Amino acid sequence: MLRPRLRVASLRIDRSGRTLLDGLALEILPGETLSISGASGCGKSTLLRVIALLDRFDRGVIELDGVDAATMPYQTYRRRVSLVFQEPPMFEGTVADNVRWGPSLAGQTLSDREVANLLELMALDSSMASRDAERLSGGERQRVALARALANRPDVLLLDEPTSALDPESAQDVLLHIKALSAQGLSVIAVMHVPAHAELLGGRSLHLHAGKLHAESVAP
Amino acid sequence: MSYVEIPLVRLLGAGFLILLSIALSYRGKLGLEKDLAIGALRAAVQLVAIGYVLVLLFDTQNPALVVLALSVMLTVASWTAARRVSHGPGWKVLMPRAALAIGVAFAVALLPVLAWIIPVRPMLQPRYAIPIGGMIMASGMNVVALTFERLLASAHQRANVIEQALALGASPPQAMHALNKQALRAAMSPTINALLTLGLVQLPGMMTGQILSGTSPLQAVRYQLVIMFQLVAVAAIAGALAAWLTQRTLFDDRGRLRRFAKAEKPNAIQKA
Repeated sequence: MLRPRLRVASLRIDRSGRTLLDGLALEILPGETLSISGASGCGKSTLLRVIALLDRFDRGVIELDGVDAATMPYQTYRRRVSLVFQEPPMFEGTVADNVRWGPSLAGQTLSDREVANLLELMALDSSMASRDAERLSGGERQRVALARALANRPDVLLLDEPTSALDPESAQDVLLHIKALSAQGLSVIAVMHVPAHAELLGGRSLHLHAGKLHAESVAP
Repeated sequence: MSYVEIPLVRLLGAGFLILLSIALSYRGKLGLEKDLAIGALRAAVQLVAIGYVLVLLFDTQNPALVVLALSVMLTVASWTAARRVSHGPGWKVLMPRAALAIGVAFAVALLPVLAWIIPVRPMLQPRYAIPIGGMIMASGMNVVALTFERLLASAHQRANVIEQALALGASPPQAMHALNKQALRAAMSPTINALLTLGLVQLPGMMTGQILSGTSPLQAVRYQLVIMFQLVAVAAIAGALAAWLTQRTLFDDRGRLRRFAKAEKPNAIQKA
């Protein structure tokens, strides 16, 4: 039996005296995709932020490849478990600067070809590389943010409403590309509010309700 | 030293300048009369009081009293630098950090100068240590206040950018690099501007004072240059230390941005 890439067990998150999530459990295998739906404010985004180690949690354990995240250097963990925000901010500079940002922290410089490949993966023209990142449209930002996250070659991609700023055609393109990456071993956990998009991404669908995840369906 | 003394009567006569300003405010209906009167009175009381303190310090020549006076100045400077901040952990957390930043910068900028460049003996002579120390402390206070304010405000406003950097595997210093740079440049710029325009826009206060009290202008210039270099060093050291200490308060031990930097957001979510 395959060992889960990421395992979350007995997770409890309290915020301002209120229990947001309690006893939450989640496992994802290498190459698996998982869509999470749920009512507004039920804690979907907070769950992703906690898994990305950007927010604290009050009880439970998060493991990456069987290793407790609390014992790992958080920078290493965050390179391997990458969160893309719903409204991702761009760093100052060009689109290429943004895509190169993560690897540059580890002293690596992506070539122009590598940047172009990552942009093309997100259905963006490689000529965009030289554009000012802060002047992009919402949809372009989201795709550049995905390319920027993928530049780190993460094992797990956490996506918070990745299609919310995309037109239907781009959304379909991006989701199919992510699905293809997942087939190559990338684990994807996506918070989705459009059921059709969750279906397109495939994999398991879970519904977050009353602080726990409930199975919805298994898509091919 | 030769200078013209100001007897009390003539000092009171200088009050006509304030009366003139009050009259102008009254005529122009600016509503500043009360502020001008209180300001002038406060300035007079504070300066006369400090004059007596200095006389006491000069008369006793006791290094312990000099250290006490400098400590009081450091406390007031730290409190002032910490209390102006609108976003962040509050003055109780910031004040000791301000004291550390200003205190270290003060020691680095003052002690070598008193040891080798203006080698007065004993070293803590009040006539040198208090006025020079005061100028250094005031500069450190302004730089630390600006660094705190700017850094905490931008951490609050740009929390999403910082967290995006963290999410890509940045360490807190890497995530704060651009904001730190902006804050330090802004905090240093008044000192650098003063350096660039020195002697062109104004003759600095200390040099003016020395010239008025009979010191050779060329010696006064040398003193002023030493002071300016000290002020630059204080700005650089106090600013860098304040930025580093602020950064440490902004993140927890797992490199997560602390909540106070964006206190409004979680509350809004809780209410929804």
